[in-house]
Amino acid sequence: MAQISATEQPNMKQVDLTTLNIQQLSTLKQQLDQELSLFQESLTSLKMAQTKFQNSGEALEKITTNSEGKEILVPLTGSMYVPGKLYDTNNVLIDIGTRYYAEKDMDAAKDYFKRKIQFVTEQMEKIQFLGLEKSKIRDAIVEIIEMKLQQQS
Amino acid sequence: MSEDLQRKIQSELDSFKNTQKELQKAISSRQQLDGQLNENMIVKDELDILPKDAKVYKSVGPVLIKTELIEAKQNVSKRMEYINKELKRCDDLITSMEKKQDTHRESLQKLQHQFQQAQVKAALHA
Repeated sequence: MAQISATEQPNMKQVDLTTLNIQQLSTLKQQLDQELSLFQESLTSLKMAQTKFQNSGEALEKITTNSEGKEILVPLTGSMYVPGKLYDTNNVLIDIGTRYYAEKDMDAAKDYFKRKIQFVTEQMEKIQFLGLEKSKIRDAIVEIIEMKLQQQS
Repeated sequence: MSEDLQRKIQSELDSFKNTQKELQKAISSRQQLDGQLNENMIVKDELDILPKDAKVYKSVGPVLIKTELIEAKQNVSKRMEYINKELKRCDDLITSMEKKQDTHRESLQKLQHQFQQAQVKAALHA
C-alpha cells in the first residue's frame, strides 16, 4: 500500500506538496485522516492489551509455593463460583495466542508477561512517533489547501 | 444529447462507487490477514523458545487438548504459509482495483468536462 512519510525512504517518491492540485491534496488529507484514526484505535487496543498483561503478571506475583493447597473460588461462569484447592503452583498455563496454551513454570511465566508488556510498549511508542509525523504532514497539507483556496478566490 | 450524457455519467459514477466499495473490502480483508499473520508470528516465536518437553495445549471449543510441540509448530507455520498466500492474492486484487478505480475516475472527469461544455453551448444558443 502507498505510504506517506516525512523522512525520505527507499522506493518512495518525493512530492512537493505545493505542486499538487486541491483534489489531490484533499485525497491525501483524507488518507492521512484515515490512517490517524486507525492509529488512535490501535493505541487504544494496545493500551488494553498492556493492562491485561500487567494484570496477569500481577496475579502471578500472588501465587507462591506457599499457596499450594490453599482454597480458592473458581469462576465457572461470570456469576457462579465453586470452591477449589490450588495445586501444582509452580506451573501455569498461558494463552500464547491463536488458541494455543503453553505450560510454563513461574519464572518463565513472569518473564513471558514482562516480555509482552515490553513488546506492547515498544509498539505503542512506534505508533505514537508515526502518528506525530503523519499529523505534521496533515497540518502542512491543510495549510497548503487553504493557501490555494485563497489564491483562487 | 445532454440526457444521454447524463445517463452515461450516472452509470460511470455507479461503477466508480462499486469499485470503491470493493477496494475498501479488499483493503479491510488485507488488514485482517495482516493481523492474523502477526498473531501467528508471535505464537511461532513463543513456541520456538519453549523447551522441547514443554506441554502445549490447543483450545477446541470449551476444552483444552494436549498437543505435541512439534505438531503445534508445524500447524502454525502451515497457517502462516496459507495466510501469506492469501495476502499476496489480496495485494494483487487491491492493485487491480486501484487501477480500475483510476480509469473510472478519469473517464468520469472526461464526461463531466463534456457535460459542462454542452451546458455552456446550450446557454450560448438560448
